[in-house]
Amino acid sequence: MKFTISALATAAALTALPSFAQDLVLSIGSRGYGPAVERNIERYTAENPDVSIEWNKVSDVPGETRKLYVTGLTAKSPTPDIYAVDVIWAGEFAQRGWLEPLNGLLADDTIAAFNPSLLAASTVDDKVHALPLYADGIHFFYRSDLLEKYGLDVPQTWEEVLAASQTITEGEGNPQLYGFVSMWAKIEGLFMNWLAFTNGNGGGFYDADGNVAVNSPANIEATQFMVDLLHEHRMTPDSILNARPDDARTLFQQGRAAFLMVQDFVHAPLSADNSPVAGKFDFTRVPYFEGHEDANSTTMGGWFLGINPNSENKEAAADFLSFFTAEDQQLTAAVEDNRAPTISAVYDNEAMGSNEVLAKFGANYDFGVVRPSAGSGAKYPRVSEIMQLEITNALHRQKTVEEALNDAQKQLDALLSD
Amino acid sequence: MTSMTSPLDRRRHLTGLAFITPTMLVIIAILVYPILQSIVLSFGQSSIDGAEPYQFVGLKHYAALAGNDRFWNSLWVTLTFTAISIPLELAMGIGLAVLLNEHFRFKGIARLAVLFPWALPTALNTLMWRWMYNTDYGLFNAAALQSGIVDRPINWLGDETLAMMSMVVVAVWKTSSFMALIILAGLQSIPRDLYEAGRMDGMTRWQEFREITLPLLKGPILVALIVRSMDALRTFELPFNLTDGGPVTATESLSLYAYKVIFDFIEFNYGAAIVVVQFLVIFAMSLLYILTLRNKD
Repeated sequence: MKFTISALATAAALTALPSFAQDLVLSIGSRGYGPAVERNIERYTAENPDVSIEWNKVSDVPGETRKLYVTGLTAKSPTPDIYAVDVIWAGEFAQRGWLEPLNGLLADDTIAAFNPSLLAASTVDDKVHALPLYADGIHFFYRSDLLEKYGLDVPQTWEEVLAASQTITEGEGNPQLYGFVSMWAKIEGLFMNWLAFTNGNGGGFYDADGNVAVNSPANIEATQFMVDLLHEHRMTPDSILNARPDDARTLFQQGRAAFLMVQDFVHAPLSADNSPVAGKFDFTRVPYFEGHEDANSTTMGGWFLGINPNSENKEAAADFLSFFTAEDQQLTAAVEDNRAPTISAVYDNEAMGSNEVLAKFGANYDFGVVRPSAGSGAKYPRVSEIMQLEITNALHRQKTVEEALNDAQKQLDALLSD
Repeated sequence: MTSMTSPLDRRRHLTGLAFITPTMLVIIAILVYPILQSIVLSFGQSSIDGAEPYQFVGLKHYAALAGNDRFWNSLWVTLTFTAISIPLELAMGIGLAVLLNEHFRFKGIARLAVLFPWALPTALNTLMWRWMYNTDYGLFNAAALQSGIVDRPINWLGDETLAMMSMVVVAVWKTSSFMALIILAGLQSIPRDLYEAGRMDGMTRWQEFREITLPLLKGPILVALIVRSMDALRTFELPFNLTDGGPVTATESLSLYAYKVIFDFIEFNYGAAIVVVQFLVIFAMSLLYILTLRNKD
């Protein structure tokens, strides 16, 4: 009797194997890489008809997706098999054992093709834990029609941004029109903003020796400029303090702001046919303060793809992962969807020349700065939280800029020496 | 007590036990076990996936909490929110209940309508209110700007005091009807002859309310207060969806802070300590209600 049951079970397992073993679940949002995800899945299943891939569309708000992953990964859930991680989590997730090391699963050549400085973000104990899918960053979008109307050049420095904002808002005389909008709610995007402002003033998270120096004079000056933009010059709406990227994008798209500073995903909705500002806007590199034209003020982001260590189909997942991130797929995503490739060889392809938008994004990335996630690993969420909280304190004038940044420095020193 | 040993009583006793057991098991599984687990976690250091074995650290997390301004802030926010919203809800609830207890046309529809905000999920309600509070597109600012009351949009959810007030308004709007429902049930159980007797003695309507209605509503009010205070002390969906605890941390409740510690910073043990403190606060509050309202008899 026992024999029969186990034999039956084995037979059932064997017959079930071909259909079940090759089911893969991929978790990634639809905003950042949307059209490419569908295309890549189609391409892959056309070549591998026995594999079925389920796209689990997760939230486009990174914080929400992160909580979803944390719950699933701590419970050792075997799904998703492959999932997208924000560049700032790559190191932390690898340290926590939430990403399968890829060396061994993938050929060394496959891994070596990627941009080494991006790979560094997911490398822990000399092992790569996730492959970079695309890079993005924040850019400075402007209303080209308004600049032209008032005979203004595209502003390069924050001083010019302020002057241009004043000229435009006074000239238009419309109380519904603001100068500058961005994402200053207490979110990761606020920290990205702060890094753009401070690096543009020759400051930043670290000093020249690589020590944490968030309360440096250059940082205090740049942060004060942010506070003044809001409270003294009144160039931003009060709602900037609650604004997430899409809130800022909406204001700009409805023609209620002259300047917008957010990530590059807004380019697609802003230039869509039904967009009120289509054909009336352009973008340039994140501004800097006078005298800092070489500043790396473009805060960079990006997404990685990795494999869940609890996946029951790691090998199949690895095969799909390497296909998904391969040169051909990256080239199409670059040319058609403006997604910046992470394999350096893609940039040399002739087809790349046809995409001017991506070429401009790429030129801005030459002035890129990354967030301090690699250096702080599993502590990065708390680093970012400290910075978000203290910058918010300054923006709400709960503390002076100096007090807020001194407090941040104190907390960071305690956290990082622990 | 000797009667307990008679065979019939013993059988009744066993039957009673058999009826209670399944419920007790469910309560132990979903209530007692998590509470005990939280207490155990709060006194130790471990990782939730078992990679790091549990290590007893005593009061370490509680000592850290005592010196954590953000924790005290979230406790203060929670208590302030409860202290402002509960009396308002109670007043509104009694008012609504007395109204709904009167005889008028469409009473059935009115009772249903009052329950509507309470029947909708908090998260949905809150998102709806967030749109109305929206600084640039919201209903309130559109009205305030068009009527000329203000010339610059009010940042309802971006100002510390206004954000707390906005949150209280949503809570009162949503849960007064729950208070009303419980109190209405109490009202309907008050015998009519008491009022008739009162009228014979020449009582005014206000005296009737003070001398008959309120004392007899003590039980239902106690129930409503305890249930609502427990809810308010662990409020989560409201600040999570309305303000995310902001601006800065002006509306960050204990639950929201514990949630951030656990899911953003992945510090389960420290988060458990916050939850245990919250449990004690709610426990103390419930005891206080029961004792004060009982002693007056």
